[in-house]
Amino acid sequence: MADIRVEHLHKEFGTGVEKVVALDDVNLDVSGHVFVSVVGPSGCGKSTLLNVLTGIENPTRGKVEITHEGRDAFPGYVFQSPRLLPWRSVMDNLIFVHKDRSKETRERCRRYLGMVGLEDRGSKYPGELSGGMQQRVGIARAFSTEPDVLFMDEPFSHLDAITARSLRRELHDMWKATKKTVLFVTHDVGEAVELSNRIVVFAKGGTIKDDITVDLPFPRDPADQDVAIAKADVLRKFEELDLIAT
Amino acid sequence: MAVAAASRPAAWPARIIRSRRTARFLFPLVVLAVWQLAFMFLETAVLPSPGKVLSFMWDEVRMDTLSRHTLYQSFAISLGRLIVGFLIALAIGLVIGLLMGLVRPIEYFLYDVVVVVLAVPSLVWALITGLLFGLGNNAPIVTVIGVGIPFVILNVLEGVKNSPKELFDMSRAFRVPRRRVVRHVLLPSLMPFFFAALRYGFANGWKGLVLAEVFASTNGAGWTIRYWYDAHRAQGVLGYALFFVLFALILERGVFERVSRYVFRWRPQAQLEVVEEAVPEAKLKVATVEAERMAADRGTG
Repeated sequence: MADIRVEHLHKEFGTGVEKVVALDDVNLDVSGHVFVSVVGPSGCGKSTLLNVLTGIENPTRGKVEITHEGRDAFPGYVFQSPRLLPWRSVMDNLIFVHKDRSKETRERCRRYLGMVGLEDRGSKYPGELSGGMQQRVGIARAFSTEPDVLFMDEPFSHLDAITARSLRRELHDMWKATKKTVLFVTHDVGEAVELSNRIVVFAKGGTIKDDITVDLPFPRDPADQDVAIAKADVLRKFEELDLIAT
Repeated sequence: MAVAAASRPAAWPARIIRSRRTARFLFPLVVLAVWQLAFMFLETAVLPSPGKVLSFMWDEVRMDTLSRHTLYQSFAISLGRLIVGFLIALAIGLVIGLLMGLVRPIEYFLYDVVVVVLAVPSLVWALITGLLFGLGNNAPIVTVIGVGIPFVILNVLEGVKNSPKELFDMSRAFRVPRRRVVRHVLLPSLMPFFFAALRYGFANGWKGLVLAEVFASTNGAGWTIRYWYDAHRAQGVLGYALFFVLFALILERGVFERVSRYVFRWRPQAQLEVVEEAVPEAKLKVATVEAERMAADRGTG
């Protein structure tokens, strides 16, 4: 578990006429065993927020603090595409992000591969697996580092609906079992409602427009009436905020 | 594979006739037959019979030769020059290619020059280096460098431009140390381009080298073919031409293909054989469907 504190975060790309504001005065506090979704239309700065939080990009202004019991928190990351090294086996892909290749590391990687149902595919190359399996490897890789906080950037958007659904279930179970803090970026409101305690709504221009608490018991079935109503509520808020028309 | 075999229990003669290996093997035999027939009917004094060429080649293989060097010495000399020249081309090309890939102005400054150098025929390299350096090792080696460098530069440039940014970002997000990223991400991602440079650079360098040896050397494989040409021994020229082909084949099949199959074993291509078998059948099906469609069109129209 980790505490994420974001204060007055700005991120700009380019200068002069070509200047693009990706994040505009973003403030966010996330802590504990929560699943927070960041929802918004394409190009609203959701992914930039994750890139800044994980240190892939530096902020233009503002403060980012991700801590765990007073020290810097160790992050894990699941990307939109699996981002596996195609020339290394599945097992080696997991080991690649670890500090060493000791017996404990291997054991741990094997355990997390098992959690996504791929314990017998460790020696395969990523190219020998289906897209859904590759994304599972990406999820196992992120969990296997036993991070304090997990960042996920539309991890299921490239998958077919059926695979995405079963992966969402697995993700939820893993989140519950491992008690991680998860920050999950998506443009799919249904997905956000199904998985999260809290939904942060982003708008074009990189500002936070709303912060919604979803108070429903897990596991949530998207076909369930309460879940459907919650989804409709969020969509209605989108309309009130004028996010859909533009 | 088992599925493919079970679904199509073709009789073995059909399978042998249809197999790619048979067709490949048949081709040189057909060439030999045409050659023998041409020799018999044309009654020319220029064209030697296949038997004469083959017996010349056999003598060469047994090191029974009139030339100054045996077959093995000649090819060893040439191969040595090729390797030295190509290593230099690789070193220079790598530096220039990396600079061009990393610094935009350098790329703009040099790109056209590289393309022009690429267009220079090997013959021109051979003649100019011959004029400059005279007889000896220098002309062939510099020819290999000149012919090989553009291939190395262009491929390294392409490799740098295609560097997998996603994987670098991933490594950064997981805080993977830089040394491991270089070894497990950067270098493997450059491998396909390195291999392309190696293959094309080597093959083209070899062609240039032989030419340079014809004009500006007193030994090596290129010089030896010239020797037989000057001695009016057509079987020697043809025999050496075949040795060149064999040498290129051995290099390609025996070395490059094996090494690249090992280096790129992660590429998903495990079921090549099945694919090979399935292709004619699939084509046939497409052709039938197409014919049916056309017939239907004709019927309605």
